[in-house]
Amino acid sequence: MRLRSKFAVKCAKATSSLIKKLNRGSGVTLPGYVARLIDPNILKELSGQVRKKTIVTMGTNGKTTTNAILCKALEHEGQKVIINRTGANMLNGIISAFVLATDKHGNLDADYACIEVDEIASVGVLPKIEPDCALLTNISRDQLDRFGEVDITYNKLMTAVTSVPKTTLIINCDDILSYSLAQESKNAFVTYGISEQIFDDVSRSEIRESIFCRKCGKKLEYQFFHYGQLGLYHCPNCGWNRPNPEYTAEHVVREDELYSFDMDGIHFDPQIRTPYNIYNTLSAYAALKTMGAGYEHFKEMIEAFDYGNNRESIFNINGARVQLHLAKNPIGFQQKVSHVLRDPNPKDIIIQINDTYQDGEDVSWLWDVDFQYLAESNARKIITAGTRKYDMALRLKYEDVSCESTDDMRASVLECVEQGTKNLYVIVNYSGLYQTNHMLTELEGKGGTER
Amino acid sequence: MKKLTIGHLYPDLLNLYGDRGNIQCFRKRLEWRGMEAEVIPFLSGEKIDFSKLDIVLLGGGSDREQELVCGFLKDIKDDFKAYVEDGGVVLAVCGGYQLLGKYYKTNKKTIEGLSILDITTEWQPERLIRNIVLNSPLFEQPVVGFENHGGRTYIGDHTPFGKVFYGLGNTGKSGYEGVIYKNVIATYLHGPLLPKNPQVCDYLLEKALQRKYGEEVKLEPLKDETEKKANSYIADRYSDKKYVLRETVKRHT
Repeated sequence: MRLRSKFAVKCAKATSSLIKKLNRGSGVTLPGYVARLIDPNILKELSGQVRKKTIVTMGTNGKTTTNAILCKALEHEGQKVIINRTGANMLNGIISAFVLATDKHGNLDADYACIEVDEIASVGVLPKIEPDCALLTNISRDQLDRFGEVDITYNKLMTAVTSVPKTTLIINCDDILSYSLAQESKNAFVTYGISEQIFDDVSRSEIRESIFCRKCGKKLEYQFFHYGQLGLYHCPNCGWNRPNPEYTAEHVVREDELYSFDMDGIHFDPQIRTPYNIYNTLSAYAALKTMGAGYEHFKEMIEAFDYGNNRESIFNINGARVQLHLAKNPIGFQQKVSHVLRDPNPKDIIIQINDTYQDGEDVSWLWDVDFQYLAESNARKIITAGTRKYDMALRLKYEDVSCESTDDMRASVLECVEQGTKNLYVIVNYSGLYQTNHMLTELEGKGGTER
Repeated sequence: MKKLTIGHLYPDLLNLYGDRGNIQCFRKRLEWRGMEAEVIPFLSGEKIDFSKLDIVLLGGGSDREQELVCGFLKDIKDDFKAYVEDGGVVLAVCGGYQLLGKYYKTNKKTIEGLSILDITTEWQPERLIRNIVLNSPLFEQPVVGFENHGGRTYIGDHTPFGKVFYGLGNTGKSGYEGVIYKNVIATYLHGPLLPKNPQVCDYLLEKALQRKYGEEVKLEPLKDETEKKANSYIADRYSDKKYVLRETVKRHT
C-alpha cells in the first residue's frame, strides 16, 4: 500500500475517533471526506484489497434491506464482509466504511464487500470500486426535488453501469425501467422477477412511471401490475416484452400475517410481513448465486432474518402495540397504507411528514399516494405531525378522511397508548425516524406512564 | 344542480408532482358547495371535444414524456386555441405551462408547443428547484408552492401570474412567475398548487361557472382552516429573514 493511502487512512481514523469523543454524531461521512482529501485514489486502493468479490446495491426502494440480507447470507457462509452503514451511501460514507474497516496497518481483511450506493452518487462510486456485480432493486420516483425526474435517475444509473462494462447487473425484470437499462447498457445481466400476483389492490397506486415502450414509444399492455410500473408487460406494437426471469419466487402464500414462498424448489418461511420483502429476498438470492458465493445456509439464515432493521419496529408500551414504519416515497408509502389495511382491528395512526433536505423538500409526492383507503382503516384517530403536518392534513381532508394535527409527537403517542385502541401505527419519513425510534424505545423502557 | 366538467389531459403521460391534488381540489370544492364535478381523463391519442369542457388541466411530465405528448398536441391545437380565446378555463402546470408556448428547446431538440401563449422556453442544465412564494395582484393571500424545472420561460408581453417573493420563477432572474391570460393560469408551481392555494382554485372555479351559468354566479366562501395553515406555514417561513439566510447557507455548502 502506498504511503499516501496509509496516511489518509490514519487521518480518517483520527477524525472518526475525534467525532466520537466529542459526541458529534456517528461519524460515518467526515472520515471519508478527510481520506479522499489526502488521497483521491483511496477508494480504488482499498476496494482493490477485497479478496473475493464486491457487489453494489442500488435502486429506489429496498436497497438497505437487500444489502443487509446479502451481508448476513455471506457471513453465514463464513465469509468476512464489509458493509456500509444505513444512510451512508454517498461517496464519503462509502469511503468511510472501507477506511474504518482496516486494521492498524491500514490493511483490509475482507472476502466480500456489500455496498449500498445512492443513485446519484453511483456515477462517482462505481468506476472507483469496479464491482463484480451491481444489484438494481427498482427505479421509481423518489425525492424529485433532488433527482429532478425519473429519467435523470435513469440516465445517472446508465452512466454509472456503462462506466464499468465488466460488472454483471442483477435486475428486476418486472420493472420495465430496470430491464431497459440492462438491455441498453450492454453489460451482462441476470434477471429476477415474480410471475404471480402477490400485491393487493391497495398496494397498487394509480401513479406509475413509464408505461410506454422505451423502444417505440407506444403504450405498453400489462397482464397485471405488482405496484407502480412493475408487472407483466408487453408492447403490442414492437413486441418487446418482459422476459422469463432467471430467478423467481413462486407459490407465495400469506398466513398469520406472514408470507412464505418457494425459490429453486426450496420452501422458505421467513418473517416477512410485507410482500416487497419477497422481492428483496429474491434479489439477494439471485445475487448470491450469480457471484458464485455459497448459499448452503441461506434458508436457515433467512428464516431467522429480522426484516425490521429499525425501519419497521414493534414496541410494547404499557400493553399497547406500537409499530414504527418508515415511508419516504409514494411507492413505499402505498405499501404502508396497504399494510395498515391488512389489520382489521381498531387502531390509531400517527403520520409524521418532515421536509428537510434528507426527506426531500418537495412534499407533492403525498398526492401520489392513495390515502382514500384510510377511510376504511377502522382508525379511531389519525394524527398528523412534522414540519409539513398541515400538508398531510390537507391531503387527508381532500379525501374526506378526518384527522387532527399535533406539535408534540410524544404527547400524542402517550395519549393513543393510554386512551386509544392499544394498537398504534406510527409512520414517519426519513428525518423523523431516528428520534421517533429513540422516543418509542425510551417509552417502552419506562412503561409509558410518565409524562 | 350546477355542474362543471373537468378535462384532465394525458394523465398517462403528464402526471408528475401530484397533479392529482389539483383535480381533487377542483372536485371537492365544488362538492362541498353542493355542486357536481365530472372529471374526464383523456389518455394520449383520445379525441377531445372542448365544447363539453369547463376546465382543462394540463399537468407536468418529464422531458421525454413531453416529447411524446407533443405528437398528440398537433391534432388538438386549433380546438384548444379556440377554447382559450372563448374564455375557457385552463390550469397548466410545469410541463403543461411550457407546452402552451411556441416551443421548448432542450439540449437535444426543439419540442413544438401549442402556440396558445406567445412564450418560449429554453432548457438549461441547472434545474431551478425550491419552495416558492408569490404575490399576485389577484389574491390577498400569497400563492405558495414548489418549483422544479430545467426550462427558462420567456413570457414577452404577457402578464405574469405573480411576483416572486421567495424562489426563482420563470427564468430565475426575471422576478416574475407564470402567465395569466384570459382564463388561463399557467405556472411552474406544483406542490400541488390548488389545495394550498384555495383562493386560486376558487378563482378558476368561479370563472368556469360564470362562463357556463352567467356573470352573477358567486362562490360561497368555505372554512379553509387547514388550507390557510398549510399556506401560512410556507409564506411565514420564507418571510423570516433568518430562516432564509440559514437555508441559503445550507444550499451553498
